[in-house]
Amino acid sequence: MTNPFENPDVSYLALINDEGQYSLWPAWAEIPGGWTVAFGEDSRQACLEYIETNWTDMRPNSLIRAMGE
Amino acid sequence: MTIDSVTPVTPAVQAAPASQLEDVLPLSPLQQGLYFHATFDEAAPDVYTAQLVLDLEGPLDAGRLAGAAARLLARHPNLRTSFRQRANGEPVQLVHRRVEVPWREVSGDPEQVAAEERARRFDLTRPPLLRFALVRPAPGRHRLIFTNHHILLDGWSTPLLAAEFLALYTGAEPPPAPPYKDYLAWLTRRDRGAAGEAWARALDGLDGPTLVAPDLAGRPPADPGHVRAHLSEDLTGRLDAALRGRSLTLNTAIQGAWAMLLALLSGRDDVVFGGTVSGRPPELPGVERMVGLFINTLPVRVRLRPQETLAGLLTRLQAEQAELLSHHHLGLAEIQRLHGSGPLFDTMTVLENYPLDTAAAEVGDGLRLTGASGSDATHYPLALAVVPGRRLSLRLDHRRDVFPRTEALRLLNRLTRVLKAVAADPDLPLAALDLLSGEERALVTAQGPGEAGATAAPRHAGVVGGHADIVSAFADRVERDPDGEAVRAAGVCLTYAELNGRANRLAHRLIDLGVRAETPVAVLLERSAEVVVATLAVAKAGGAYVPIHHGHPPDRMSWVLADTGAPVLITDREPGFVHGAAVVRADEPYPGGRQPPDAPPGPARQQPAPDPALLPGSAPPPGSHLALSDEPGFVPQYDPNVRVHPDQLVYVIYTSGSTGTPKGVAVRHRDVLALAADHRWAQGHRRVLMHSPHAFDASTYEIWVPLLTGGTVVVAPPGELDPDAIARLSAEHGLTALFLTTALFNLVAEEDPTAFASLREVLTGGEAASPEAMRRVREACPDTLLGHVYGPTEATTYATYHAVREAGGTAPPIGRAMDGMRAHVLDRFLRPVPPGAPGELYLSGAGLARGYRGRPGLTAERFVACPYGGGERMYRTGDLVRWTAGGELEYLGRTDVQVKIRGFRIEPGEIEAVLSRHPSVAQVSVAVHDNRLIAYVVPAGTVPVEELRGFAGEILPEYMVPQAVLTLDALPLTPNGKVNRAALPKPDISASGRPPRTPGEERLCRLFAEVLGLERVGVDDGFFDLGGDSIAVIQLVSRARREGLTISPREVFACQTVEALARGGSTGREILLPLRATGDGAPLFCVHPGAGLGWPYSGLLRHLGPDRPVYAFQARVLSEPGYTAPSIEAMARDYLTHLRRVRPRGPYLLAGWSMGGLIAHAMAVELREAGEEVGLLAMLDAYPGREAAPDERDVLPELLAAIGYEGSGEIDDVVAFVRERGDRYAALDEQTLQAVYRNYRNGVKISQEYRPRRFDGDVLFVTAAHGREADSPTAADWKPYVTGTIEDHTIACDHASMLNPGPIAEIAALLRKELQ
Repeated sequence: MTNPFENPDVSYLALINDEGQYSLWPAWAEIPGGWTVAFGEDSRQACLEYIETNWTDMRPNSLIRAMGE
Repeated sequence: MTIDSVTPVTPAVQAAPASQLEDVLPLSPLQQGLYFHATFDEAAPDVYTAQLVLDLEGPLDAGRLAGAAARLLARHPNLRTSFRQRANGEPVQLVHRRVEVPWREVSGDPEQVAAEERARRFDLTRPPLLRFALVRPAPGRHRLIFTNHHILLDGWSTPLLAAEFLALYTGAEPPPAPPYKDYLAWLTRRDRGAAGEAWARALDGLDGPTLVAPDLAGRPPADPGHVRAHLSEDLTGRLDAALRGRSLTLNTAIQGAWAMLLALLSGRDDVVFGGTVSGRPPELPGVERMVGLFINTLPVRVRLRPQETLAGLLTRLQAEQAELLSHHHLGLAEIQRLHGSGPLFDTMTVLENYPLDTAAAEVGDGLRLTGASGSDATHYPLALAVVPGRRLSLRLDHRRDVFPRTEALRLLNRLTRVLKAVAADPDLPLAALDLLSGEERALVTAQGPGEAGATAAPRHAGVVGGHADIVSAFADRVERDPDGEAVRAAGVCLTYAELNGRANRLAHRLIDLGVRAETPVAVLLERSAEVVVATLAVAKAGGAYVPIHHGHPPDRMSWVLADTGAPVLITDREPGFVHGAAVVRADEPYPGGRQPPDAPPGPARQQPAPDPALLPGSAPPPGSHLALSDEPGFVPQYDPNVRVHPDQLVYVIYTSGSTGTPKGVAVRHRDVLALAADHRWAQGHRRVLMHSPHAFDASTYEIWVPLLTGGTVVVAPPGELDPDAIARLSAEHGLTALFLTTALFNLVAEEDPTAFASLREVLTGGEAASPEAMRRVREACPDTLLGHVYGPTEATTYATYHAVREAGGTAPPIGRAMDGMRAHVLDRFLRPVPPGAPGELYLSGAGLARGYRGRPGLTAERFVACPYGGGERMYRTGDLVRWTAGGELEYLGRTDVQVKIRGFRIEPGEIEAVLSRHPSVAQVSVAVHDNRLIAYVVPAGTVPVEELRGFAGEILPEYMVPQAVLTLDALPLTPNGKVNRAALPKPDISASGRPPRTPGEERLCRLFAEVLGLERVGVDDGFFDLGGDSIAVIQLVSRARREGLTISPREVFACQTVEALARGGSTGREILLPLRATGDGAPLFCVHPGAGLGWPYSGLLRHLGPDRPVYAFQARVLSEPGYTAPSIEAMARDYLTHLRRVRPRGPYLLAGWSMGGLIAHAMAVELREAGEEVGLLAMLDAYPGREAAPDERDVLPELLAAIGYEGSGEIDDVVAFVRERGDRYAALDEQTLQAVYRNYRNGVKISQEYRPRRFDGDVLFVTAAHGREADSPTAADWKPYVTGTIEDHTIACDHASMLNPGPIAEIAALLRKELQ
């Protein structure tokens, strides 16, 4: 069984939404509304490494703003 | 039907004259397959009966027609065959020179005649395997029904035969076709090796068969139903054009469409089905005119790739199939044998490009053919036949017991949609192909009334609208009903105002310690009212609580604290593990005596700058302990007024992670509110039992649903919950609702389903439900609602809910999404699947956690972009589900290898990662068999199995330690090179033990086996070694009671084996308690600590292995209440007489914890002085008579701390506590406790008086690292009393918890090493 998010044979994207949250996303699939490509397409591992490196504050942006008040 | 005449066979229709056999021929591959199916069950209808019906009009000479039939048989030897098996089992076909042609003329309903003709079985040994019936439904109209066994003819042959038959009637003699024998001869000339290789290539890497009805295997065939569809002329034309434009055949399009349908039906993306090929080799002269069985059904393997377009898939498929063209002669059975698998498929497609021309045809002499139709069948649950034409015609044959007519029609409609899509846009990506009808789409996207979306959902009236954080929602409750009962626990009752006050005071302390927004605060508390206070306090301080399970090994606890960087730990004990947090003792009274009047509530508190040393990430000095003297004079009770954002975290709960690292699910205030606000709680969830471990996410429901809706949290006493306790707690505390894991629910349902009768609602879930258990509960408690719940921690406890009304038969669904949550069931192409099709469950909407704390990559993998909402995320559950026709979800299993054991979610990968760190493990795989975790190890050298379990026990929680370790030479692999978990051998846990000798032993062996689900159990097999746990103990005791046999849980813990139990059981008070009396090794004798009880050593059993007998000495005072031991030496001599009875000669192995260490030392001295060998003297945190010896402290609480006792230490209180627990300590009745106290006081005295002599030998010493002071005694204190070396090992726990599961596993590992 090949899960769309676990398939080593296809390439992936790193998506990001307005809240600064990231999502792994198979490159073959249509990009859902509200999300844009932050990285890729590239291997699954490369996308995850990008996310590990860049998603340093996992709070959503709106919360970061609210807590920064 | 009436038969007015049955014409006997006349001489005129007799075939060739001679009576001998004309020939003996082998069977073609397909004939062999049919032969097998036809002889499989000779009593069942043979579905391989084919029929051709010709409607004729005009004057007909029946005699001439019968003569034509005879001529037909004379011309074709292969219509005169019978089938038999040779002595070696090989089937052959015998060609008879002369057969009688069954011919009858009947009147009546032609349909009925046809049905009757079909229903009569052919006997394959009696030729011919065909018959004719002529019916005259009306004057001048005739119907000729030709019925044959499929083994003679295929569908391609019948029109040829019909044309020839009618020509013979007119007196013509068409040129003869080449005989079938030529084809059989051609077959023998094929290169089978090359064909085999081609098929092996085609199926390479295939991961299992594609079966739509896997449980049908071995069942006899049944008459199929048929549904039909016709494409419009326009659509047929457009499809043809689209295919022609890309040089694709109709057959390829049909196979591709079927593959897409099958992928949806089976949940696979690499599917196989049968494809029918004509089997007529073009190089064989005249093959197109031959009559016989050529057709073959061969595997069509289709891999679906999400990145491909429809045309791309079809083009690739056509090329792959072309590779196999010259290898169509191989039989299916042989291909399956070559692939090394059983049946590869149970569906098939056939393109019937051999239709009879149904247009009226002139036969001759005024006779006209006005219609023809055929009936043919297969044994597959689904078979698609496609007939080309101006309007493409589709017929789906379906087994009605698997696919009812409506379902078959739905499938056919879906197939039509795929063909439409191919015609409309061949360049459409596969992932964009919409397979749902409008109705289906509506069903799977509707989430039911009140469940459509977060904003539209009607809210629980008790949760105040507008609040999206716990703190303000709770404040609202306090304001509304300050005197309402918030928490009820043993001896404690807190109103909302009181709970608020206590939580406020703790919150102030936390803030003073530097807790700020989202600061993690670890909580390690025994079940008590304090759990509720602490949980609320952390939320009020703005922090996120991190509950830690006290049953976890110290290393894991340390890891969780380090992973979160929690600067504060709230606990009620010496933590017993390494950490760098400031400790807040919840069990110590707050200082300051009187409380000051509450300060007026002010504006949101301006938090003072915290001490930098206490900020997250810069932890206070390790182990810094805020004792009484560190406290300010008083702690205020007014609200700290910390403003909390709904998106802030409120807790982090750790679950098993596949990479070997647990993952912390970070849940927000908003999520908990969404759970609490669900409309389902509005009625019955007023007084909710809190009994789940705090670190288990069910605690979210148990604490927050009642607290945020104005109800009461009823805290269960520590220990296991059993049916009696549930009934008692329900009655005592007026419980209205509770949640039980599946295992516990099933147990109660079995033992006492009426236990729930007084409740409004019982929730259960977590594992595959037992319909039988649900039925019992529904019957016993008709007025109690039964809620079947499902949910991952990541979706805040419960994601779906189903009210079980009619239970029994099949497993209940998991229901519909909770309020505000949405469920999506998607296939591998992220497309929604229709009802009935399996897909992975994704969850979006309210209640979705923020992610995994500090794990961005993992979070982005599991919390993924949701295709159905702007910028929203959805959680990928990994659970396989399907929609019912009614719009509910049914649970099917996991998409990965995650498993559940006793309700705990376990990633075998995490256990594998831990075990693979052991140097003697080369490869490891962990799987579940019969609810037991089994580790399969390929060793690098020799692996001591018990050492591996001990090794795992040091790092993993007990429920994750494999119950058995099997060594293998190699792990079985799938064709893809992955570990083939299905092929891992089933462990034979049904052990080695001796068979029972008495009826009593036999009964107990049977009971053990029943409860443990084993074939057999020997008399000396340990209950816990065989995988028994505390739930199993309760089951065993209840079952025994039903059979009139009284044993107590305590006896099971103490005796462990059937032999010991049958010996009259153990009183649990004998001086020498056999924990395990069997085994070939030298026995280990353990000496009781100050309290006098030996049971705590039973924790060693599972780690020491079944070969090591273990005995525990217990104080004489337990059996002789008046006894007072005069000295340590006297105790030692007393015990030695018992010791020598069990083991007359050395070497002796001795161990003792605390005061037991002193006694063991004294025994060892005596033994050496008597010239005996002492193989081991292990002393566990025991020190020679010093004022500050650990025994100085109150010894009973010391012992009881290990089981969670934290009360006053008064005897009544302790007795009540242990009774409620009902486990091995239940034997601590008042008399025993009095004895224990006396023994303890005496023990302190004689310990201090003990003046050890020198022991001639070595000592294994274990120091408990925690709770030590600078002047604490050390192992070196023993130097004057030991001639040999003192090997000192330190383990991370405190003195009192040394025999807890984690530390005892470490101790056992040390002992084992020493004993090798």
